[in-house]
Amino acid sequence: MPPFPSQAEVEETLKRIQSQNGVQGIIIVNTEGIPIKTTLDNASTVQYAGLIHQLVMKARSTVRDIDPQNDLTFLRVRSKKNEIMIAPDKDAFSNKTSFLLY
Amino acid sequence: SILLLNWELSNQDHPEDIFPMVLTSATQELFDCQADEDVTGESPYKLLEKDDIIQDIKTRAAVSDFSPVKQIVLDYPEDELLLVYDRDFTYGQSFYLVLTPEAKDRILNPPKPETPEVFEKEVVKTPEPKPWISLGSDKEIDEEAFKESREKLLYKFSRVRRKFGVPVCFSDRNTADAKDDYLECASYQDSRFSIKQMQRDCGMQAVPRLQSSSAQTQWKFQKNIFTQYTPRELSVEEKENILQLESLKNFCNSVTPRVLQALQQEGIMNVFFDDWKALGTAADDGDWAGKVSEGLMLYQAFTDQKYTKDKKICSINWHPTIYGKVQHLIIKISISLKSNNSLLKASFILFYTFSDPSNPQLLLECPDDIFAFEFCPSDPNIIVGGCINGQVVLWDISAHVTRLQGTQPGKKVSVNTDNKTPIVHYCAVSALESSHKAPITDVQWLPTTFEVTRMGLPVENMYNISAQVVTCSPDCTIMFWDVRVSSLVSHSASERRPIMDQKTPYSVPDTFKHLDRTWKPLFRVLQGFRVQYKMSTEMFYLQFPNLKISSIHIVIVYSKPNSCCDGEIIYTDWKLGKDDSGRLQSAKPLHCFSIHHWLVNTVQRSPFFKDIILTAGSWNFAIWKEGVMVTTPQVCTVGCWSLSRPAVFFIGKEDGSIEVWNLLEKTNEPVQIHSHVTNAKITCIKPWAASSKQHFLAVTDDIGMVRVFEIPKTLYVPSRSEVRQGPSHFPYLIARPR
Repeated sequence: MPPFPSQAEVEETLKRIQSQNGVQGIIIVNTEGIPIKTTLDNASTVQYAGLIHQLVMKARSTVRDIDPQNDLTFLRVRSKKNEIMIAPDKDAFSNKTSFLLY
Repeated sequence: SILLLNWELSNQDHPEDIFPMVLTSATQELFDCQADEDVTGESPYKLLEKDDIIQDIKTRAAVSDFSPVKQIVLDYPEDELLLVYDRDFTYGQSFYLVLTPEAKDRILNPPKPETPEVFEKEVVKTPEPKPWISLGSDKEIDEEAFKESREKLLYKFSRVRRKFGVPVCFSDRNTADAKDDYLECASYQDSRFSIKQMQRDCGMQAVPRLQSSSAQTQWKFQKNIFTQYTPRELSVEEKENILQLESLKNFCNSVTPRVLQALQQEGIMNVFFDDWKALGTAADDGDWAGKVSEGLMLYQAFTDQKYTKDKKICSINWHPTIYGKVQHLIIKISISLKSNNSLLKASFILFYTFSDPSNPQLLLECPDDIFAFEFCPSDPNIIVGGCINGQVVLWDISAHVTRLQGTQPGKKVSVNTDNKTPIVHYCAVSALESSHKAPITDVQWLPTTFEVTRMGLPVENMYNISAQVVTCSPDCTIMFWDVRVSSLVSHSASERRPIMDQKTPYSVPDTFKHLDRTWKPLFRVLQGFRVQYKMSTEMFYLQFPNLKISSIHIVIVYSKPNSCCDGEIIYTDWKLGKDDSGRLQSAKPLHCFSIHHWLVNTVQRSPFFKDIILTAGSWNFAIWKEGVMVTTPQVCTVGCWSLSRPAVFFIGKEDGSIEVWNLLEKTNEPVQIHSHVTNAKITCIKPWAASSKQHFLAVTDDIGMVRVFEIPKTLYVPSRSEVRQGPSHFPYLIARPR
């Protein structure tokens, strides 16, 4: 079955990001933290999804607690060996399904 | 003068112990107390003798002024009475007589106002015990104490003399049996008096009431409980559905710019890089205590009169694992000797330790002179050496390791009472006819990561131990040896030599008994057209990242000492391939360089970059990257890389000097030259990182001395950029050939 147009766009976006220098992998995750699409292997994906999801919830609630009008737009976790960039969707924590890009 | 006698003693406007009186002028004259002449307002006191007063009373009787106080004067205990001139008539008369000695003292010696004592420095003394003042408690003690009221009565019974020694028999008798045998004083209630005991001492003790009790819950339904987690996953269809959602597309579109921007930032610059910190490498530790030395400092020198004097030391190695505490490092150095004096039959490998620089700790006996030896990387108790007659020798020093480790300062060496250094005999020696036909010039262990099969194919090493050895020698062969019991080799009856009839000394461990004298190489690589001298096998580390075995290359140095031709460096693959006729043959070399014009004596890969090699020949040394080379003309005998800085290496020279090169600072000359470290040629240099604060360099020479230098901090602490950017320095070198 050929991919739907929107699916093609998603693919194209992912390719764009993946082609940047130094990107090791991309994971797209839904609100509950379940990975939808990934370029890494399954074990890493699951591990990242589970761990990072909690961190993002915490970060977002921190930002919102300080100023309820504010919201988390981007989170970068920098470590000795690499860096994790997390981009949440604007409705990332509402009940609707929305997405996070790791 | 007017006589006034005042009889009113009862007039009590004066204190009781003084008596105001009037003295006539005659009396005053008599007693020398004339008013305003002998006694004045300032000094109104006059002491009169009691006897004089009594005399006066007697002589003048009632007329005497003192007659009212006659009785008092007679009773006065002391000899002098005080007469005070009362000028102001405070007590009613012009004089008063003090009646009591206490008042006299009080008037004459008024209590001085207490001057505050000058606070002297009091010497602190231990307080002396004060005498005990009884406050009444001793009475109680006496009452309660138990004393003997009379002397004890002593009764002595003895038998009649004639009955001494005769057995005696005692029996019981009741006192009621006989009537008059006892006298009883029964107690009775005396009606004369009854004492009611009002107070009684009794002792009490409080004991807590303890009660122990226990409870147990019932575990009614016994069952095992465990929890296992699995991550939640979406099924493929769900994923498909989601991927088609419009919202996903919108999300991606909105998020992508942010991510790209972040990635771009990364690419442009590293915002978290601390430039300031990266600037100073020497100031990193802030080691300002004392002067920091810049050059190599001699740490210790080893020599031994018996074994090493005047002998050429061919090779030196640091023991890979034994080391002690920081202050007294115990590193074992083993030296192999080539004796210039051919009369000496046995040659040895010596073990030295820092704590005892003049005596070797252990000697390994060699069947012949040894040119090269190495510790096994996976088991430092195994040492392999190559002999001058082509044989390969194995030692096992595990029996003596505790002794080597135990030589720490402060501990008494209890074992060696006769001060003889133990000699370890070799465990195994290769079969004479299968060994090299020429002296073995280099021996290397294969690393623990892979091993080689009989055909020469490198395979993954299952056990992670180094069990294979490569040797090379000028008889144009390189041999691979395996120290394990080989199950593949089938011994024919003739080949199998009975090991039993060879007497091995008791102390030789049986580790390699299966190899002794029957050891054959796994296979050999023949390079028929060249002569070999040294080889470097660190390149074996060129690994297979994903276990895909690529072809492994060996760097062999060739030199032809007898002719004036060049020493060459050959880069080749040792796999045995099949040539046209189907015979096993070694591959042809891939590259061949002749840059050193005489003997090449060092080939070493940089410990940091796998494709940078340092080679040193008689006239020059070269650093080359696989494929490209560069030379620098210097006269040198041996070289080695620093263990911690990629751009530093050490070169030893013919005249006994050591050069320290640092490619980051200068590329065409050494940064330091330590000339005349020794008088002879330097034969071997080996560095060692004993701890993070001490790095050593062992230098051996041709006359039997081993010197250990301490590498200064500036030479072994790498800068941040050195490790990362290293190979970029070398192209700089390569671009300027000489």
